[in-house]
Amino acid sequence: MNEEEIINILKEKFGDKIVECKIPMKRRVFVEVSKECYKDVVKFLLHDLDMKHVEAITGVDAKDHFEVIAHIGYGISVSVKVKISKDEPVIDSICDIARGVELYEREAYDLLGIVFKGNPNLKRFILPEDWPEGVYPLRKDYEAEHPKPLR
Amino acid sequence: MSFYIPIGPQHPVHPEPLLMKFKVEGEQVIDVEINVSYTHRGIEKGFEYRDYMKGIFLAERICGICNAAHTLCYTQNIEQLLGKEIPPRAKYLRLIVEELSRIHSHLLWLGLAAHQIGFETLFMYVWRDREKVLDLLETITGNRVVTAYNTIGGVRRDITPEIEQKIRKSLDYLEERTKYFKKVVMEEPTVLVRTQNVGILKPREAIELFAVGPVLRASGIKHDIRADDPYIAHDEVPFNVVTYDTCDVYARILVRVDEILECINMVRYSLDHLPSGEYRIRMPVIVRPPPGESVSRVEAPRGELLHYVRSDGSDKPYRYKVRTPTLANIPSTARMLTSRGDYIVYIADIPIIFGSIDPCLCCTGRVMFIDIEKSKSWVWTYNELVRYSLKRFERHD
Amino acid sequence: MGFTEKMIRWARGRSPWILFFNTGACNACDIEVVAALTPRYDLERFGLLLKGSPRHADILVVTGPVTRQVRDRLIRIYNQMPEPKFVVAAGTCATSGGAFWKCYNVYESLDSVIPVDAYISGCPVKPEAVIQAVNLLAQKIMKG
Repeated sequence: MNEEEIINILKEKFGDKIVECKIPMKRRVFVEVSKECYKDVVKFLLHDLDMKHVEAITGVDAKDHFEVIAHIGYGISVSVKVKISKDEPVIDSICDIARGVELYEREAYDLLGIVFKGNPNLKRFILPEDWPEGVYPLRKDYEAEHPKPLR
Repeated sequence: MSFYIPIGPQHPVHPEPLLMKFKVEGEQVIDVEINVSYTHRGIEKGFEYRDYMKGIFLAERICGICNAAHTLCYTQNIEQLLGKEIPPRAKYLRLIVEELSRIHSHLLWLGLAAHQIGFETLFMYVWRDREKVLDLLETITGNRVVTAYNTIGGVRRDITPEIEQKIRKSLDYLEERTKYFKKVVMEEPTVLVRTQNVGILKPREAIELFAVGPVLRASGIKHDIRADDPYIAHDEVPFNVVTYDTCDVYARILVRVDEILECINMVRYSLDHLPSGEYRIRMPVIVRPPPGESVSRVEAPRGELLHYVRSDGSDKPYRYKVRTPTLANIPSTARMLTSRGDYIVYIADIPIIFGSIDPCLCCTGRVMFIDIEKSKSWVWTYNELVRYSLKRFERHD
Repeated sequence: MGFTEKMIRWARGRSPWILFFNTGACNACDIEVVAALTPRYDLERFGLLLKGSPRHADILVVTGPVTRQVRDRLIRIYNQMPEPKFVVAAGTCATSGGAFWKCYNVYESLDSVIPVDAYISGCPVKPEAVIQAVNLLAQKIMKG
């Protein structure tokens, strides 16, 4: 199965819910989908097209919205991108179809504040215990600075 | 009553701090929770303040042992964004340094695993032979561990025929020693008793929990980025993907030892077929790639490494994401460390099971036990855990 | 300065026991310090022993930039070491933050958290530098 076939099958199955696709180079496919069918697209890629492997979940703070990107696949890497609004950064979790992504979603929640609805264990993962609540370091309005020296 | 014992590594076995909370019933481990926040430095934000050339040096220090893989992934990513192709000689040189650093990492791990079993002699022998690989890396790149060999557009230095001769001589020595270590691992009763049928991860679980690297290959699944998604010169240099199907710690040791032998053959092949020509293309110091995004994957010694970059046209990346292989292996580790049904995990097995995934974040940390029946909890340091497991096996022999 | 005190100081300097601690480093300095124990460099011929508990140690060798999460544990270990105690900052990260400028979770240097007696530079440190630094510190201890 090569890159164009994957795009054609996705377009056939999901029609106009696929917003945009591109093939920047060999074995890389970037697909942007709408929020409602994110979970269905991921399920279709994992089980029906037998890609079986979610490599990572990336959260991005584009200036006026958030994006969640799921990287899927062993040989060909398909990146499924979803745009979500900054006022309500909520998206469905894919933990029930892909058991191993729990830690990736927790990391995106911890560093960016995106809430994954349905994740069984959504709490602080990587930031220290005394980090203030509600401050998300990877957002563009946070300015990185070292902690104050103790002596 | 609970009391805390301070952290204090004796032989620093990857002494990066890590907290694991185990729930035990008698001697059996029932549940585990892993806390990895001790080594979080904030590197992904740091990339956004540095331009692309400076970012190579930050990428290198994400992990000092797999630094060749990180710089390779980073520079590949930027080259993909720019749409530039590096010369063939640079691809082969990058491959040589990548495979040498894989040999180094696997030998290092073999020594540390031997230390965790209590086999100090093997630890000292392996680390002495690892010095040969470090000498080679120093001759080629100028530094022993953090090599800074890759740059955007190729590599920094060329190799001369004298260096080639040195590499070949050392490879012969390393091949002989690795075959000896393989014989030791397969025949020594200490190793066999501690590692067979311990830390089992079934193939179905390995796929579902998205394990990567030798952990996946020791459960019989044939997946390696160098074969499925070849980068640099891996589509031209032949090699075998090593798998074993006993799914336990013993299989993971054998996978890594066989991979060392495969790497030695790959370096020999590359030296025989090294193309001539330029070893880098000149790039300006400030690089401004066009707006776009790119994903780059590399087979680091511990598994599959993924870097994602998004650029907005300026000289600094807009977003850079790194997903290291050990993070991908943590759910599988938690699975390997819980008893269920007939499969029982004893406290004494914890060090070697955790060590068998080759964690790049540590093993020496605080390990906290909560005993449900007696409702008490206590904390051990990692070394006390290792000592306890050694004592227990002495009594049984 | 009495004879007993001279003897004690000589003994302390001839056989300092080390405690090694990593505060969020990239592991390169750690494996170089452990490589200093292997047969090629062999720290133990100088009387140095790597110990497991802070209660037994004279010298604390710290690598890595100090992350926020590990700071309390580091201070606790430092407080548990018996006097006289010495701290060696191994590597550029411990000396001055290293490559981690503008990384929000690390302190700028080790001496903004605990007092430091010796600094070793290098990224990573060379095993020869570790041996030299610990020996110089041991001689300083012997002289007072």
